[in-house]
Amino acid sequence: MDFPIFHIDFIGNRMLIAVDAILHVIINHAFAVGALPVVALLELSGIRRKDARWDKLAYRLLKIIFIITTTLGALTGVGIWFSASLVNPAAIGSLIRVFFWGWFVEWIVFVSEVSLIMAYFLSWQTAGRSPEAKLMHLRLGIFLAVFSWITMAIIVAILGFMMDPGNWVTERTLMSGLFNPMYLPQLAFRTTLAMVMGGMTMICLIYLFTRHDLAFRTMVLRVISNWSGAWMLGLIVASIWYYQVIPNHMLANIPVAVTTQEYVSWNGRLKLLLIVGLFYVGRVLWLSVKRPGQVHGAKYLVSVLLLFAMLGQFERVREFIRKPFIIGNYMYANGIRVADYPLLQRDGILQHATYAGIREVTADNQISAGREVFEQTCTRCHTVNGVNSIRGQLKKMYGGKPWKSEVIAAYIENMHRARYFMPPFPGNKAELDALAIYLASLQKRAAAFNGAQINGIPMPDKISAATVYGTLPNLSITNGEHE
Amino acid sequence: MNAPIPRDIPLPLPAPEGLLEILLIVSFLVHIVFVHLMLGGSMFSLVCQIKGLKTPDYEKLAYRIMQTVTVNKSLAVVMGVAPLLIINTLYAPQFYASSALIGDMWMAVIPMVTLAFLLAYVHKFWWNHFINIPELHIGIAALETALFLFIPLIFMTNVNLMLFPEYWPQVKGFFSAMLLPNVLQRYLHFISAAVLFSSLFFVWWSGRKTFLQEVQFSKLRVIDVRRFFYAFAFGATIVQILTGLVVFVTLPAQGMSWRFTLLLMLGGSSALPAIWWMWQNLTSPGHLIDDNLKRIIACFACAAIIMGIARHDYRENALADHKTAIAEKTANYMAAVKEAGEHAQLDAKDQESKISAPGESAFNQNCAACHHATLPTVGPALQEIKEIYAGDSAGIVAWTKAPGKKRPDSMQMPGFVQLSDDELTAISQYILSH
Ligand code: HEC
Ligand code: HEC
Repeated sequence: MDFPIFHIDFIGNRMLIAVDAILHVIINHAFAVGALPVVALLELSGIRRKDARWDKLAYRLLKIIFIITTTLGALTGVGIWFSASLVNPAAIGSLIRVFFWGWFVEWIVFVSEVSLIMAYFLSWQTAGRSPEAKLMHLRLGIFLAVFSWITMAIIVAILGFMMDPGNWVTERTLMSGLFNPMYLPQLAFRTTLAMVMGGMTMICLIYLFTRHDLAFRTMVLRVISNWSGAWMLGLIVASIWYYQVIPNHMLANIPVAVTTQEYVSWNGRLKLLLIVGLFYVGRVLWLSVKRPGQVHGAKYLVSVLLLFAMLGQFERVREFIRKPFIIGNYMYANGIRVADYPLLQRDGILQHATYAGIREVTADNQISAGREVFEQTCTRCHTVNGVNSIRGQLKKMYGGKPWKSEVIAAYIENMHRARYFMPPFPGNKAELDALAIYLASLQKRAAAFNGAQINGIPMPDKISAATVYGTLPNLSITNGEHE
Repeated sequence: MNAPIPRDIPLPLPAPEGLLEILLIVSFLVHIVFVHLMLGGSMFSLVCQIKGLKTPDYEKLAYRIMQTVTVNKSLAVVMGVAPLLIINTLYAPQFYASSALIGDMWMAVIPMVTLAFLLAYVHKFWWNHFINIPELHIGIAALETALFLFIPLIFMTNVNLMLFPEYWPQVKGFFSAMLLPNVLQRYLHFISAAVLFSSLFFVWWSGRKTFLQEVQFSKLRVIDVRRFFYAFAFGATIVQILTGLVVFVTLPAQGMSWRFTLLLMLGGSSALPAIWWMWQNLTSPGHLIDDNLKRIIACFACAAIIMGIARHDYRENALADHKTAIAEKTANYMAAVKEAGEHAQLDAKDQESKISAPGESAFNQNCAACHHATLPTVGPALQEIKEIYAGDSAGIVAWTKAPGKKRPDSMQMPGFVQLSDDELTAISQYILSH
């Protein structure tokens, strides 16, 4: 990676993105995409039944939605950019170059969405004055719901691409990236899941807000349970579809049995959650449709939590399937392109890492060179002492026996074959040995491991003497491609 | 230039550079207008609330101001996404580097903005809950304003740092980057602009026909409110000019050019007539001339647009050499990648023709990760396996199809049902003959 290496050794870099992203997705699905239609539905019911209680309730729900989505929701969204650009700038930078216009459109939709939700929320009270204004206001709400779905549909395309770039690796165009084979099943799964999640979350809030008016509660819950129940049927179909398409597709690409095993255990957990979750939530909804008002609030809450867990596990499997790539077949999760490997394995990665402090492994800098190699090649996924720590992993493998650097080196050389979620080691032999020596030294002593945000970067003049990048053969001249 | 020269991301820009630059300037200006209104609004609401302890009408004014803040802050965030996207695209090697160098504080922007927004909502939505505890209410407003004031400093530090790659090696964390020459001056210049633009906005806002009806002052006259904002606008303009001069004098030489200087002068002088009109409005007793307001705002808008262009001009000047060096290095690197890739392909072919034993490549593909020739790694070494299964290739095949659990401190070996008997036999023979 040719960027200064930001590193948080405590929670780890991947965790930083994961926490932010999962929070964002949950808020987006449960409080925007899935919840806004419910608010519009309540407003509509209020108009139809000429009953002010519906309208008041809808407004209270919208206020909560407004507060959550415009603070935590919007900022965790921006936070994905921030964290990704710190943790893996090479990947996010590449994605932006390909998907710029996709994201630009996304941004315009996002601006519309925020403007609409402000208009919808802030004009609620004034719209009540005349029936025409109220109808206009309702239309605004429906518009808003559609917009927030479109925002999601675009981002799903981008996520789908990262999992499987389809034709992009050969064609390199935005469209070929967007319409990849995984798109529709994912979108169907997410849409229906979001609708059920949003419905259930709103049901919980409604349960809370109507505790002093039980007759009204029954009425409202009947409507929203019917609505959510209908989407539940869709969710079951979409889950089966997703489950049919994705594993076959991915399993075909997975070479080694271990990986299959690993994958099956992850996916098995998702399957279990899907079955248990769909069953439980389905049953609660069924009861709620038949006898609204008699289902205890705790059951709704458990349903919401189950749905959150399903979404979380789904995101994890989605992420896991993608490994070892961050952009399928183009770039590994360590930020190094597949095409870079032959060069880096020949020259060594330190030669080409602008911000590394050491260029060449020598007899007396092995540990510190090994640390640099670790920083360049492993820290995007491992910490030294924190989450997914390399010390912990080695301890699990070798326990209290003395850690031998030759054994570790033999493992790293082949690790991508046994543990397919890890990319192959990108450096040369000397760097491999230095890395193994550094890792073995961690058994006794591990100095605090800080990133560029604390250590800074080395002075270029201190390391340029040992650098060959200045004199890297300028093949573009000999090939006559440049003057 | 003694700056690190990294490589660029080796993919083409998604649009012509000029188009992206225009989009950047425009979207950044829009973003900054809303940031100014949000920041200034928060400060004015706080000030008015404090004044409201003595003159209750000011408290009503503070509430109304807060209503604009909650709208403007959302627009400030969404409008910021576009310039962020474009900066990411156009200046990837510089922007990602400077962000990483102040990474902790850069990441902290997200929770800090979230907190500030939530405080703003508490401040506004529960206004009447605080009637008997104004100290707490003012405390919340002060915390919110303090956060709103601090966040731009982080952004300022980052966009300043990205301009000067030669400073990167001396930076250790956010505070050292913040203390680089020019950041604090630019920050003060920015804050006074926020006061200026928001106070002008509030002069307009308090001049709307419905304003009196909204606030329902008991004593305060609208004209006093507008004069109050005008006075701030005037003062902020003076501070603007002074800090602007300081910024100009202390700007590092890297980005200086005549064109840039000319643009700055043009931008500065387009604000001069506005100062004259503001002075007139403030000193002519009894009434404010609304016609002038439009002209004043037009002048400042003009100044802001020219400054926005100048700012971009400076950035391009400052980074010109760095960008050229990066482009050259990237081209060389890509050529080397190509050459090494072609070599590697030839080598791989050579290697393939060298493999004599039939099971070798299948072994490398499936087993080498855990079985080394002489060392026990994840699984036992080949030597050990050879001793156990001397002459018994069928035994290896049987084990591999359905491995047992023997060594207590080893993991469970996975089974290889997907390999055919022939393949497994070849592998086992390779192991035994190794
Ligand atoms: C794409 C992210 C990624 C990268 C890059 C990566 N690893 Fe891993 N590594 C993982 C994950 C995920 C695990 C499994 C964690 C778990 O579930 O226990 C793992 C596990 C390990 C283990 C334990 C393996 C086992 O068999 O139990 C070792 C040792 C290890 N990694 C070393 C390294 C080294 C050395 C590097 C750098 C050359 C590296 N990893 C790079 C993701 C990565
Ligand atoms: C994921 C790591 C891994 C992979 C890949 C792997 N093995 Fe193993 N292997 C092990 C482990 C661990 C043991 C020790 C198991 C035990 O003693 O419980 C082992 C043990 C063995 C043994 C010794 C059994 C004995 O009786 O002591 C043989 C033979 C063997 N493996 C063959 C293979 C072959 C052939 C392949 C490739 C097709 C292979 N292994 C792939 C991990 C692996």
